[in-house]
Amino acid sequence: MSVEKKDDEMVGYRQQPGKLPFSKPGSGGKNQFSKPTDASIIPESQGGSKKQPWGPHPHDELVSGQAIGKPTAMVDSRWKVTGQAHYGDDVRLAGELIGRIVRSPHHYARVLSIDVTKALELPGVIAVATGADAANKFGVLPVTKDEHAMAVEKVRHAGDLVACVAAETEATAREAERLIEVEYEILDSIHDMRDGLEDSQTPIHDRGKYHIGESNIQKRVFQEFGDVAGMSQAAVASHKQNWLFAGVNHAATEPHAVVAHWDPSGRLTLYTPQQVPHYLHRALADVLEIPMHQINVHRTFVGGGFGGKSDPFPHEMCAAILARKAGRPVRICLDREEVYWINRGRHPSRIEMNLHADSEGRICGIETDALIDGGAFASFGHVTTYYNGVLHTAPYEIGAFHYTGARVWTNKPASGAMRGHGAVNSRCAVEVGMDDLAEQLAVDPITLRLANLLPPHSATITGFRVTSIGMRECLERVRAASGWDDKFRKMPLGKGIGIGCGFFISGSALPIHWDPNKFPHATVHLKIDMDGGVTVHTGAAEIGQGSDTVIAQSVAEVLGLPLDMIRIKSRDTDTSPVDLGSYSSRVTFMNANAAISAAMGIRDELLDATVEITGAERNKLVIGDRRIFAKNDPAVGVSYLEALHKAQEDRGALVSSGAYRTPPMGRTHKGAAAGLAPAYSFSAYVAEVSVDIETGQTKVDKVWAAHDCGKALNPLAVKGQIIGSCHMGMGQVLSEEMRYLRSGHLMNPDLLDYKIPSVHEMPEVIPIIVESNDLEGPFGAKEAGEGPLLPILPAVCNAVYDAIGVRTSELPITPDRMYRMIENRCRAEKVSDPLDLASPRLEHSALQDTLDARSNAHTERDIERRLDDEREPYHNGALFGLDPTIPPDEVDPRWAVTVLPSDEYLTTPRLAGSAWKHTERRHRGDA
Amino acid sequence: MLPAAGEVPWRAVVNGTEKELAIESNAILLDVLRDKAGCLGAKRGCDMGTCGCCSVLIDGQPRLSCLTLAAEADGRDITTVEGLADGHHLHPIQQTFADYGGSQCGFCSPGFLVVISALLEENPTPSDPEIKSAIEGNLCRCTGYQQIVDSVRAASQILTSGGSIEDSTAPKSDPHPGFSEEGAS
Amino acid sequence: MRMPPFELHNPTSLSEALATAADLEEAGQDFDWIAGGTDLLPNYKWHINAKKHVIALAKVSELTELSPTHIGAMVRLHDLAQSDASHPVLAKAANSIASVMIRRSGTVGGNICLDTRCYWFNQSEQWRESIDWCHKCDCGTAADCRVIPNQNTLCVATYQADLAPVLMCLEATIHLASPSGQRSVLLSEFFELDGMTRNVLQRGELVTHLTLPEGAGEWQGDYQKLSQRESWDFPEAGVAVLWKRNGGAKPADLRVGTTGLESIPGFHTEEAASALVDWRGKESIDELAEAIRKAVKPVQNTWYAPSYRRKMVKVLTRRACAGLL
Repeated sequence: MSVEKKDDEMVGYRQQPGKLPFSKPGSGGKNQFSKPTDASIIPESQGGSKKQPWGPHPHDELVSGQAIGKPTAMVDSRWKVTGQAHYGDDVRLAGELIGRIVRSPHHYARVLSIDVTKALELPGVIAVATGADAANKFGVLPVTKDEHAMAVEKVRHAGDLVACVAAETEATAREAERLIEVEYEILDSIHDMRDGLEDSQTPIHDRGKYHIGESNIQKRVFQEFGDVAGMSQAAVASHKQNWLFAGVNHAATEPHAVVAHWDPSGRLTLYTPQQVPHYLHRALADVLEIPMHQINVHRTFVGGGFGGKSDPFPHEMCAAILARKAGRPVRICLDREEVYWINRGRHPSRIEMNLHADSEGRICGIETDALIDGGAFASFGHVTTYYNGVLHTAPYEIGAFHYTGARVWTNKPASGAMRGHGAVNSRCAVEVGMDDLAEQLAVDPITLRLANLLPPHSATITGFRVTSIGMRECLERVRAASGWDDKFRKMPLGKGIGIGCGFFISGSALPIHWDPNKFPHATVHLKIDMDGGVTVHTGAAEIGQGSDTVIAQSVAEVLGLPLDMIRIKSRDTDTSPVDLGSYSSRVTFMNANAAISAAMGIRDELLDATVEITGAERNKLVIGDRRIFAKNDPAVGVSYLEALHKAQEDRGALVSSGAYRTPPMGRTHKGAAAGLAPAYSFSAYVAEVSVDIETGQTKVDKVWAAHDCGKALNPLAVKGQIIGSCHMGMGQVLSEEMRYLRSGHLMNPDLLDYKIPSVHEMPEVIPIIVESNDLEGPFGAKEAGEGPLLPILPAVCNAVYDAIGVRTSELPITPDRMYRMIENRCRAEKVSDPLDLASPRLEHSALQDTLDARSNAHTERDIERRLDDEREPYHNGALFGLDPTIPPDEVDPRWAVTVLPSDEYLTTPRLAGSAWKHTERRHRGDA
Repeated sequence: MLPAAGEVPWRAVVNGTEKELAIESNAILLDVLRDKAGCLGAKRGCDMGTCGCCSVLIDGQPRLSCLTLAAEADGRDITTVEGLADGHHLHPIQQTFADYGGSQCGFCSPGFLVVISALLEENPTPSDPEIKSAIEGNLCRCTGYQQIVDSVRAASQILTSGGSIEDSTAPKSDPHPGFSEEGAS
Repeated sequence: MRMPPFELHNPTSLSEALATAADLEEAGQDFDWIAGGTDLLPNYKWHINAKKHVIALAKVSELTELSPTHIGAMVRLHDLAQSDASHPVLAKAANSIASVMIRRSGTVGGNICLDTRCYWFNQSEQWRESIDWCHKCDCGTAADCRVIPNQNTLCVATYQADLAPVLMCLEATIHLASPSGQRSVLLSEFFELDGMTRNVLQRGELVTHLTLPEGAGEWQGDYQKLSQRESWDFPEAGVAVLWKRNGGAKPADLRVGTTGLESIPGFHTEEAASALVDWRGKESIDELAEAIRKAVKPVQNTWYAPSYRRKMVKVLTRRACAGLL
């Protein structure tokens, strides 16, 4: 078949149907010949030569070889590198005013009066607002709305919002800020999370009849699964540690900023770097008391999110209120200390972690008690309280799980969701516990893990449906790459190597604001007009993780188009389909699936059109590079544009909508939905460290980081996420903390004293991508944005133990804390010079062989399960002799699920468990 | 209105263009660049000299614009990230930042880019320790720096071996390609 | 613009700068000098002790000379760190300051005159209001010290500049100028308690340069710094040890300076002298290190706890003496 000559088309362009060929609008450009399809990227299941060790995937037939799996520059990167990407504070509208916020100097106080007279008299001040201007509460979770735009009755932490002001210039606004006079009645504040468990004269919030006694407990959880009573009897080794984790902040380089503009038609556009524009959209409607359709939330470029820009924020409300009052646009940009005051960082936590192993080297029980410090507001805390427990019920098969968790309000900046939400601290505690168990059992800690993994397509003890699992490969690959067997317990004093694993949700199965059985989690719209470019509308929030890119790649792959033909429109709620936004590592899984589904709609139409033009058999047609052709004879086919224009006849632009909804899953006990995800990611890291024994300085020298992301749609971005996660996690384990002074004030609300690792602290990271090909993931993909943070913390802690024989129970391990631990060890062992301390060593016990054998047997089991379409169910408990095909609690009463503490438990509860000593007011006789 | 500090004339060459502005005598360079000179590429991250997002070049030397009085830059040559690209062509470090994952959220990129452009100007083949020393004053919260260092190495490669940077306005892909005979095989 | 309004003066010569100072003095106007701005501007942004007038030294050309014996006050720290004219230990200390970006702005004079630091003080105005201010910036409230309460006479903010200990060990002389004339003092006599007084500079006086004695190049040694990170951080403790061998194996002379531990840097002449009395190598170094540890009294107002910083002084001293073994 010869190539159609472009010259013929364009000569004498006139409307003379039948006389001159109608030109193809928009044709021309580079690469005028379709590239032949590379058989090596076509999966074996489709007749290609790409090996599929994890079996075929439903999306195999959509592989065109265009984009998926190729290291791809972010589609918006040119905007960023030229300085043309506009972030929150870069939105400059004509006539803008500058907004500033008046904040509480007190930790906890009743606001008696606010006098704004002097501020309003200052020339240049245009509007002032206070809590009286916005009475309605909001909050990211509908069950725990406890925030106001500005204080209505009380201020709840130093830095809480009291009033706001808009003025012609920043200097005037800052001056006006001081002129607002507020009278306070100071209340007794709470700073230690343990105090939050006690009754208070003035609880920080009042939830009416749902309030838990008179305490400051915001949420409490009690859960028991499996043979809890039997675990202590079976245990031959037990680990117990009481951990204290400092709070950490996302510290995105971009401080929060917002611009509000009520346009001439009376609609509000709010420009803001938001991870979750849609929830903000709802909250704005609540607070402003206007319908949602009157609001357009415009997501600007987001200068780093990490969870820190996923709540609807009071300063966003303030901007909208001020702009409404002033009748002009208002821009507010927070100072760095204000970023720390709105916080939403990882919760300061006190976690008691107990692990038990039996004589077979099985993990016969995990008991966790987590008290987490929520600060002044609920934020995502309801979920965090569950995640601190349920997200460590995998990847290991366990005999029993007991979890008590509580989140309390304190008079500190609110904690919330941060990368690895709720899973990071308790995961660290579990993995350090595993290391200790291995030490006690005298076995290799990697072997111990390998011999206790859940198989693919199994259910955890809590009933989570786990699909693909690449945990085993992650462990094996880091073991080999790091030279583990030659180093572990063999390095000189001060040098150490450690292992840590991770497990994380790939998208929450429970959308926060609506019924998942009715509405999709993600919807993507495609529109293709005569130019052939594909316009993609999605509400997935590009926050730098590459969500625009992965959606563009998915569409490009299905339609066989180069990325330069795809344009992503993901900024405005006016045009983006409703979407949950960028949190819980959901975007790749859910939005790419929705995008694939939308693209399949277009693909069908292109195939139909091709059949019409060529008369070829439809089921023989495939899509390649900008061309649709017969698989058996690639010369028979049409260009993408030809097929497109055929499909557009009589109706113009093609449009298509695709949606994604999680399948029904999970169990029915209270809290069963928390932690449910359509898929889970797995990771294993080995860290090598040097500890300066005389100063306690710990330096991470190298990290081997294996992460199972299902399929790396964009390996460049996956590696970027892995390395970036190592950096952030390394900060938490070694130097970052929100440190509070004895007066309750945050000591370090700035980037000099909040110690983020510099380039010099950063070790070399070897990212290792494991692709377990999740059957429900887009082209097999799962998340890579949060899970990779989890293992670095315990890997470093365990490496420190290998180096110097001390186990930390407090993060971060700043040199002074490390030094104290070394001193304590010296004292305990009566060694005067720490340089004379002995390095930990390991002689394998007989159990090592048992574990090796089990691990080998399980390797075969796992490969069989992942390739077998007809596999039987596998429930956690099989390792302990139960029938894998039936949920154990259905056959063994000892395994019954419990979600309320017994009276016996309440006689000696653990720390967080003591939250259950209070009775909810509605259940009290006196209420 | 609040009485401002007295306004003074200020003149500088910003990204190759002569700018004459009236500024408050105590103005900070970053504020002048962002609010008066239209250079929103210079970012305010911490405003206290730690994060380096505000880095610009003054007479070719990297400086923190958030801790520089505008008066000090009076009469000098200022380059922000907007001034790095040459017409349609990105500076090599801009190109490799995109291609090697040097930017994730991109907020720190303008600072890194001007600092690295100055490094490469002075030393087109920096070693890894030299790269790290040059960027030690810039904070990146996304990348863990590794892909930034990769980008610098790649840019150095382009500068020394003369790789090409594509014109950004060059035609994009043809949606109506012909059939390639190779495809038949 | 976070800073309070002030008028900036931009003299282009030392005499013009001093004349401006004299004029402001006469008019009863308080003012600050600004060199690199990396210390003053953050404080001004936080509304800490801001003045109505600021005299910039950036365009004063006489202050930038750098030679082995002369260091102008306006020499940038980056240049000091990179220059072949710098004493190697001084270059090392300079290179350890903050980050390269700060060093490109920061100056030698500014580093010597660095304001003392304290986490109750180096905070935003709102923050300081919420602790009801402190002694060092009381905003007219006569507030108490927050580190050591119930005494409002002494400020214990910490001096955290890296150059001073090395320069003191090199026996640097600091040269000052004011509208009323010029004077020179040994750097070791320049600093003056407390955290507010800081040094002997009088109102209207500025540092023009430092000079080192001709024989400074004969001194060898090391500067050791304790900080959480290799970039950005101020010294939590810093120890400079310099010695002269005069050809022998034993040190003929020895000097020790410390920083980051008290409101002024320490110059430990007695401890150094007694270490030299009967030099026994490692043993003497250990004794010296212990003596320096005892000599310093840090307080709880920086990133690390004072007890740890004190213990680390011993380690740092030992390490700084490694070249003596």
